[in-house]
Amino acid sequence: MYDAIYIEDKGKPTVTYIFEHFYNDSMSAASSKGMPVIRVVPEAIVSESTMREYIATEITTVFDDIISAVTRPLTAEEKSPQRHEPENPPRLVFKGNLAEVNQFFYRRGWTDGLPVIPPTEEAVAEILTGTDLPADHLVAKIEPRLGKATVETIAVNAVMAGCLPTYMPLLIAGVQAFAANPGPAMMAVSTGSWAPFWLVNGIVAADINLNCSYGAASPGDIANATIGRAMGLIIKNVCGIRKKIEDMGVYGNPGKYSFVAAENEANSPWEPLHVERGFSKDDSTITLTFPQSFQQMLPFSTDAKGILATVVGSIVPARFGLFTLVLTPNNAQSLANEGWSKQAVKEYIIKNTRVHEDYYRRLGLDAPQASEQNTFLAVSSGSEIFHPTKSGPDPVHIYVYGGFGSWMGFLQGGPSPITKKVDLPKNWVQLVKKFKNIVPNYVRY
Amino acid sequence: MYDAISIEERNKPTVSLVNEGFFNDAESASRSQGMPALRYITTKVPCESSIIADIEAGVDEVIDKIITALTKPLTAEEKVPKPKETEKPQRIIFKGTLEEVNCFFYQRGWTDGLPIIPPTEEAVKEMMTGTDYPPDHLLGKLQSRNGKTTIEKIAINAVMAGCLPTYMPVLIAGTINLIESEPGFSGYTTFGFSTGSWAPFWSINGPIRNEINVNNSSGAFSPGNIANATIGRAIGLIVKNIGGVRKGIEDMGTMGDPMKYTCVISENEEASPWEPLHVELGYKKEDSTITLSFPNCYCQHIPYSADADGILRSIVDNMPRGMRYNIVITPTHAKNLFREGYDKAKVKKYIAEHKLVTTARMQAMLVTTARQTGKGSETEFVQLIEDPRFIRVIVGGGPGAFIAHLVGGGATPGKKEIQKIELPKNWAKLVAKYKNIVPNYAKY
Amino acid sequence: MEQQSTAYEVLSPWAKADPISLHGLAPRLNKVDGKTIGLLCNNKRAAPLILEITEKLLKERFPTASISRFKSQTFSVSALEKEREGEFNDWINEVDAVIAAVGD
Repeated sequence: MYDAIYIEDKGKPTVTYIFEHFYNDSMSAASSKGMPVIRVVPEAIVSESTMREYIATEITTVFDDIISAVTRPLTAEEKSPQRHEPENPPRLVFKGNLAEVNQFFYRRGWTDGLPVIPPTEEAVAEILTGTDLPADHLVAKIEPRLGKATVETIAVNAVMAGCLPTYMPLLIAGVQAFAANPGPAMMAVSTGSWAPFWLVNGIVAADINLNCSYGAASPGDIANATIGRAMGLIIKNVCGIRKKIEDMGVYGNPGKYSFVAAENEANSPWEPLHVERGFSKDDSTITLTFPQSFQQMLPFSTDAKGILATVVGSIVPARFGLFTLVLTPNNAQSLANEGWSKQAVKEYIIKNTRVHEDYYRRLGLDAPQASEQNTFLAVSSGSEIFHPTKSGPDPVHIYVYGGFGSWMGFLQGGPSPITKKVDLPKNWVQLVKKFKNIVPNYVRY
Repeated sequence: MYDAISIEERNKPTVSLVNEGFFNDAESASRSQGMPALRYITTKVPCESSIIADIEAGVDEVIDKIITALTKPLTAEEKVPKPKETEKPQRIIFKGTLEEVNCFFYQRGWTDGLPIIPPTEEAVKEMMTGTDYPPDHLLGKLQSRNGKTTIEKIAINAVMAGCLPTYMPVLIAGTINLIESEPGFSGYTTFGFSTGSWAPFWSINGPIRNEINVNNSSGAFSPGNIANATIGRAIGLIVKNIGGVRKGIEDMGTMGDPMKYTCVISENEEASPWEPLHVELGYKKEDSTITLSFPNCYCQHIPYSADADGILRSIVDNMPRGMRYNIVITPTHAKNLFREGYDKAKVKKYIAEHKLVTTARMQAMLVTTARQTGKGSETEFVQLIEDPRFIRVIVGGGPGAFIAHLVGGGATPGKKEIQKIELPKNWAKLVAKYKNIVPNYAKY
Repeated sequence: MEQQSTAYEVLSPWAKADPISLHGLAPRLNKVDGKTIGLLCNNKRAAPLILEITEKLLKERFPTASISRFKSQTFSVSALEKEREGEFNDWINEVDAVIAAVGD
């Protein structure tokens, strides 16, 4: 809708064909850009359809509406649209017991469907001890709603998610990463159901007991679980991205509940990701990517040859964008022992992964045009799967996490990673001590 | 450890070699099967390693310990292990604020790390209105702990997860799937615990879908719908707290899998041109059922074109490898396939016939087939999927062009994977009570 | 255990947003005959087909109208193709109205 709005602002009338099920989504997008009254014509042509006769019939049916939309005079509302939302909602938005708060928030569409901790003034004040920044400090305004991610709003969503105060610095950096360019917001609303994946580097990970080892991406660790969850609630409540209205993900993605790991730096033979990306080893960082798909497989053998052959032989072609290889520490060690650096592994993957010659043409993608401009598709020419572009110079990344085992993982899709430094408050050491022993202790049976 | 135990029971001494990371897991397994004294040695050989040098070094290091384990005489404790202390916990185990309850439960390793609703007597009682079973009714014992699966324990975990009482019939049926899962490689005792980070994936069919608002449309797998979110979560807590499967001890998933938070969908039976999954598996359309498989891959792609050829060829080209396959197709694509004469069986047959791999790749993968012997060739191709029944086709998803795959482990065809959902007598009233708990999104 | 009825007074997670200035639409055409109609295509697959058929219908119904095409290389020219801004503005100046297809 953005182009249509741009053109209207330049004084030319427009009308846009919209797939009828995307009506809400389009109107939301238009509204958030200040043009709630934009003229669209809903049609029943399914997304990505290629069926000519069917399209012809449908267009003929709605053609009169198209002509009407560019000729029929504007109404008063269309000349001068009125606002939807009240500008100043009350500070305390509800009072009730635990079940009532949960139901109220769920019905407002503010939760992910799981229980939330009620964000009382007290709870929010406690979580704000995790940062030196004042509550009204504006971290970012985020598309599409240009919602203000103030430190307090981040804190409210963090309380709901179940976060500890020590996660605030990561969440603030996470918001900065999400807002760094329009890419993340586009991924979060797309039909492709891209899930945000957060990789954490540096000392902060161990300080907050963020799992880098066995079952890192599985439920069971409060840091991994609630940090991802809080970012998801922020994407919902700050950006205003809700299912079937703005978030048009066809199937959705289970990774959207929470997908967080720390890199297993202690056991990796290589430099950690943040150092690779230009940060100092002493920094802590959070890196955001948006995989659409994730896979795990056993390598054909656990030596370098087997691991690399498995990568080349298991990549499915349709992974628009970035490819991240997830290696366990011992698989990384196997490669390093045989002289492979991260860079060498990446180059090998880029050079050797191929699809059949007409794969992209069959998808209707004009490869030469797409390859330079298209940051999200990172589509290549000919039969190469990976093709470095100006905006995506590094189409392959490597993360090292997991326990000591042979499984390999792929995280596939999306734009290039965004890494932000985590700023720690002055009293970090005391804070860490206060919460350090909140860990599960499993009773043996 | 189970083989070692059965050999010891036949009066032959054993010693088991276990990767050092699995020390806890081995102990837990032998204790839960009643043989806490079982002798084992930890080695440094990485799991599933195929590097000869590593394996030789690891075994060399411990060869003396192996000999000792087989020859050193038994201690008194090893001859007659002391009985396990019978668990006699108090009924009310804690009292505190919301934050304190959450912290206490988390530190006991009873949660998934996300906030729980405290399971008070009152809350559990309300949850139990969702079933006619009495609280102490025993469904069975859940591995790996042989945990006694009572209705009340299910209700407690359901309260913690944030479920509504109307989900109890679903949770009971889902848990039965786990309890009655086939023993051996293709069942819950492998996939619930293994290094492959397999997650339980639940598909719901029948009238219950709309009665409890299980999303099968846009974003079904994404957070935002209480049924999809809490049903999977509750069963995850049941596996953890009744089954006793905990990360790093019994659940040895190497990298983990976000599908373990929850992975629940219902089939869009109304918009599908085909028979639904439960009818395929022998149930009546008006039955409500829940079906289980264990993916560790979630992949999406778009079809080459919207006709049958474009849809099916893209599926074949983009299926990740595994043992059991779930393909989720939108109603529109299903209709396009149907128009060209495809039913679910024909779709599966096409996929099985066209998804070819070289015999060299087959040999190296985790498959249990006779073809695993021999080196294999890079030019001879065979079907990856030997039996079309390894594939499930589920119709769902919102408007848009994608196709989704959930691939990994699952039951042997014909073995336990689906369970009928039994409803309490006052079901209609219950449904009416909770039906309108749905999100309403403010426009901006 | 605290009573289930303990009351929590809670803050809202819904972020504030500055009210954005709302814009009205551009005035409509009084007729299509003799005008230049721009057809804007985004990069989604169904869009070119939709516009192809639209062009055909326009030419049939309004023989004196002329058609001018513009294709986005990503999903949005104005948001993602800043380097083509001049080119896009020139095109907008040339046309009298725009029909856009999103194909999604």
